[in-house]
Amino acid sequence: MFLCKEEEKKMINFEEELKNFKPSLEVEEAEQAIYNHELTDMTDVLREIMREAKKND
Amino acid sequence: MECYNCGAKLGKGNICPNCGINVKTYKRIMRASNACYNDALAKAEVRDLSGAAESLRTSLKFNKLNTDARNLLGLIYFEMGEVVEALTEWVISKNYQPGDNRAGHYLDEVQNNRASLESINQTIKKYNQALLYCKQDSRDLAIIQLKKVVALNPKLVRGHQLLALLYIQEGKYELAKKALRNAGKIDSNNTITLRYLKEVNSKMRESNPKKNKNEELISYRSGNETIIQPKYLKDNSAVGTIVNMVIGIVIGVAITWFLLVPGVRRQVQNEAKAEVLAANDTISSKNQNISSLEAQVDELTKQVSAAKGDEESAKNQISSYDQLVQAYAAYSEENIEAAGTALGNVNEEYLSDEAKLIYDTINAKVNAEYITALYQEGYSAYNAQNFEEAIPKLEKVVELDETFEDGYAIYYLAQALRKNNDLETAKTYYQKIVELYPGTERAANAQNYLNIEE
Repeated sequence: MFLCKEEEKKMINFEEELKNFKPSLEVEEAEQAIYNHELTDMTDVLREIMREAKKND
Repeated sequence: MECYNCGAKLGKGNICPNCGINVKTYKRIMRASNACYNDALAKAEVRDLSGAAESLRTSLKFNKLNTDARNLLGLIYFEMGEVVEALTEWVISKNYQPGDNRAGHYLDEVQNNRASLESINQTIKKYNQALLYCKQDSRDLAIIQLKKVVALNPKLVRGHQLLALLYIQEGKYELAKKALRNAGKIDSNNTITLRYLKEVNSKMRESNPKKNKNEELISYRSGNETIIQPKYLKDNSAVGTIVNMVIGIVIGVAITWFLLVPGVRRQVQNEAKAEVLAANDTISSKNQNISSLEAQVDELTKQVSAAKGDEESAKNQISSYDQLVQAYAAYSEENIEAAGTALGNVNEEYLSDEAKLIYDTINAKVNAEYITALYQEGYSAYNAQNFEEAIPKLEKVVELDETFEDGYAIYYLAQALRKNNDLETAKTYYQKIVELYPGTERAANAQNYLNIEE
């Protein structure tokens, strides 16, 4: 894509930067956000690894 | 620390005393989580909120049950204006650890201030709307919306950043810098804020190339204005003020003298001219009035004169008629002298035609007898050398009839006057004799007397 000279000089690309901005959660969406929250941590991974290891044994 | 397998309390060793499982890796994971939490704490203390949030998310990835980390993350989200994210973390924290949990206090605080929560919710909705405007290329609307958002929720870092991005796109770098400074006050080490700020500074340096980097400038805000001045600005306020005042006074006087005074003078002159014109007009109209009144006065004077004349004429008329009556009465009594005298006072002009007829009739008769009698008396008085008596009688005769007695009346009158030493009057009568009766003895004698007198 050919950019005009002015745009080339810019370090910040407006369209690209805009993609980084996501909508904020509204209060009504809090419940769903809690349900969708990723709660797997390293301990869960470790437990899973141990379970797999025991199964293979 | 509790065993992840059985939940038994762990000792210092790497084996669980209860289930015998190796907990070495587990302990390392826990320590990593705690280390991240400590790092986040340090960053939060210097307001590197985004850095602290990153560390806390890492901490929770290691250990999701790290209540302190989760609570702190919620707090950081709340401070950055992300209220729902904060509530999420606190709810999850409360869920994992229902008792003795600071998250409960935070949740109670939020629930007790529903109005504030609703207001923040509205700002989040506006922010999302502004983001939608940006994606629809309605940047002006997005800017308007975001201004409202940051006014209502000044802690929303993303709001300031998005606004700054829009200003950068519009080329309004000063405003972008202001928005980024506001974002920096909340989250000092935010990568996006710093990157945008770098871009803005670079753009501002490009548009103002004369500005020397090494120039020491200080800038400060005074109300709504940003004042930038050299660091070593000497401000001799007293001397400078006096000099400026003097210069100002001189300029003011010069402006007044060269610009205002001529204008004022011109105006005064124009007003004076106008007043003079008005006065002249007044004088002119007054003069006209005076002329008109004078003409009226003249007219009235004429009328008065005419009236007087008429009165005089009427008087004379009455007098003439009166004398005519007296003349008639005297004539009836055969008093010729009285009748003649009265007739002499009558002015024929004032008599009517009938009265004139009477006058003429009486006059003819009276005159004839009167003049004869008068001549006789005059002649007798002349002969008696009584010239004083003769002169008026003979003058009357001559007056009535110059040619009476064939000019002898006039002759004897001239003689009487001469003898009475009234030579000048005598001359006139001698001259008349010469003119009226040339070639007669009387004329010759008259001529002789005229020659002698000359």
